[in-house]
Amino acid sequence: MIRPPAAVDGRRLVAQSAAFGRALRRAGLGVDLGAEIDFARALQVVDIGDRDEVRDAGAAVFVRRRDDRPTYDDVFDRFWRARHRLPPEVQPGDLQPVDQAEAGEPEPGDAALLGDERRAELDDQLRALLPSDEGETEGEADDELVISPDAYSHSEVLRHLEFDRMTPSELRDAERLVDLLEPRLELRRTRRYELHQHGRRLAARAMFRRSLSSGGEIVSWVWQRQRRRPRPIVVICDISGSMERHSRLLLRFIQALSASSAVRTESFVFGTRLTRVTRILRDRDRDRALNRVSEAVNDWAGGTRIGESFREFNLRWARRTLRSSGIVIVVSDGWDRGDPGLVAAETSRLRRSCHRLVWLNPLAGTPGYQPLAAGMRAAYPYIDDFLPAGSVASLERLGEILAGVRAGDVDRSREAAAHVAADGGASAASEAAIAAPRVVSGPSRDPEAAEPLRRA
Amino acid sequence: MSSDLGSTDAIQRAFRERGYIAERSLATAVFLGLQLGRPLLLEGEAGVGKTELAKVLAASLEAPLIRLQCYEGLDVNTAVYEWNYPRQMLEIRLLEARGAAGQANAHDIFGAEFLIKRPLLQALESPGGIAPVLLIDEIDRADEEFEAYLLEILSDFQVTIPEIGTVRADKPPRVILTSNRTREVHDALKRRCLYHWIDFPTAEKEREIVLTRLPAAPAKLARQVVDFVHRLRAADLTKVPGIAETLDWAAALMALGAAELSETIVDETLGVVLKYEEDIRHVKGPAARSYLAEVAGGAVGGAAAGT
Repeated sequence: MIRPPAAVDGRRLVAQSAAFGRALRRAGLGVDLGAEIDFARALQVVDIGDRDEVRDAGAAVFVRRRDDRPTYDDVFDRFWRARHRLPPEVQPGDLQPVDQAEAGEPEPGDAALLGDERRAELDDQLRALLPSDEGETEGEADDELVISPDAYSHSEVLRHLEFDRMTPSELRDAERLVDLLEPRLELRRTRRYELHQHGRRLAARAMFRRSLSSGGEIVSWVWQRQRRRPRPIVVICDISGSMERHSRLLLRFIQALSASSAVRTESFVFGTRLTRVTRILRDRDRDRALNRVSEAVNDWAGGTRIGESFREFNLRWARRTLRSSGIVIVVSDGWDRGDPGLVAAETSRLRRSCHRLVWLNPLAGTPGYQPLAAGMRAAYPYIDDFLPAGSVASLERLGEILAGVRAGDVDRSREAAAHVAADGGASAASEAAIAAPRVVSGPSRDPEAAEPLRRA
Repeated sequence: MSSDLGSTDAIQRAFRERGYIAERSLATAVFLGLQLGRPLLLEGEAGVGKTELAKVLAASLEAPLIRLQCYEGLDVNTAVYEWNYPRQMLEIRLLEARGAAGQANAHDIFGAEFLIKRPLLQALESPGGIAPVLLIDEIDRADEEFEAYLLEILSDFQVTIPEIGTVRADKPPRVILTSNRTREVHDALKRRCLYHWIDFPTAEKEREIVLTRLPAAPAKLARQVVDFVHRLRAADLTKVPGIAETLDWAAALMALGAAELSETIVDETLGVVLKYEEDIRHVKGPAARSYLAEVAGGAVGGAAAGT
């Protein structure tokens, strides 16, 4: 079926394919040698004079996720424009710079390929837009960093710098938190089985296997049970103003957790907008990672928009990060500039797509605290666990929740419902009943839930 | 006769004959997959025709379609092969009865006749000389362990069974993988595939799809339904309707004997298009009325996208 490639110089195609691949790689796409070879082969079977067909062919080979497509198109346009839109095989001069590049001088070679001074400009833009490709092979979604180029001033830089400095005691708290929690994380049963002597299901295959050594006579039972895995943890941190310090502690915690164990973690920060920072936090240099988080986020001065940020999470991330019923931890004081109705609707949706919704609020430690801030009040009925942030007691309580100690004995959302009932907010309570049919409207506060408040 | 799929145009034609309207970029990706012998990974919103493409491809090639639906916990025993334990057990008893158990060795009971072939192993065979089309559906539902297992099959088209050895495909199957992106597919797997993101079609294309699939649909209804759905896709919804929903809706309206959209009938049948309660509440009533006015005025899609 392959058309005779006689008219086309195969070696030149490979060289050009490699040059194009390199241009894409520089723009941040994960292009490997195999893709370049595939593209060279593709050029032999598609109509090489048809620009759109060549574009589509390249897209099928080089693009591996939807979000890469615009970058690809951009590079494609620039790359072939620099070649005066001639079909690749009639460009006699091309081989020269490509060969140079292959001989180990990528910079001058590629400069010649892209052909104009805009290359540097393009590179800078692209570098700014795309995360560095460290750890690219880990295969997670990594490209959804929201970075706005505007809103940047000196005073904000100063704030950024504070963000990654932690006092020794704060560091100790974070480490302590990890030590406390790591061995106790709640396990979720997966749909895979492992042999286990206390399993409850017969492992027929293994049993038959073993019986062969005794001539087909079954002499012992073999059991299996469902394999267990920790639930994924998603942290959504408010990083506006006063929340910074508390969020930092939690981010530290997530950093340590993802580095040290098999738990899948995802982290997001928000002010006026949601930014995914999971990738950045995987940096082995933890201080540098936090530094980069603060660089990545430019909406420090803009206040808080909980509703919009949650909405963004629900639409774009919930299905991808909470698939196996994860635990969501929100860190925020609930001061919100947006519409409380939106906060309520989106929090309710968030709660329905996760296993447990934990909210850490630094103000909740204050004696007699009531969730009066508009955003907090709106979100309140949908929270499973409401805890004060920043105290050791609350960390211990968080530990209990993550360990699932109480997941079975207390009906979900009962605590929150109890809070609301104590609050006297009849309308809020009825909203909760609509959103969560399982609500048991307890007449009084759950005594255990109140305990950390007192200790703090 | 199977169709000639030797060029992008030929693929578009062959698919169209079978009622599948493919964008040119998609046809190019399929063409390259066939030519280079590479699996094709299709991503896109639910209901844009990812699974359907594999069926149409199989029909065009007149090749058998082997489908593997993925789910969490899918393992080698259900996806690739399993030993027929009862038969093996019987065989041992028979050997014993003949007094030959002593001489029997593992080969006697781990032979091909005791092997139960599951989809992936079946796909390596090509009865009648035609390589099958293998559809690995919703790969994002399977877990990482299974994805890792696919690597060997998709790069070399071979399966290693410890007791027998390596089974290699005499003719590599045409492989289509689909994903709804509920999680990111691992890079190692992506590297072995060609990739294509299927977008929602233009209003014009979608109208063509509706009329191809439902030849009895009144032209006016088809236009209104497609324009209305396009308007919905632009709205801020939890789950936007796919092509499958457009077709369902058009069919439902025809069943109700509607010749064109009206406020009442839209409100009554909205559940065919929108599957989330919030979305229905969001659209029903005033929003639906304003969309309807736009659709009736031909402001959306229709004329604009048609040119």
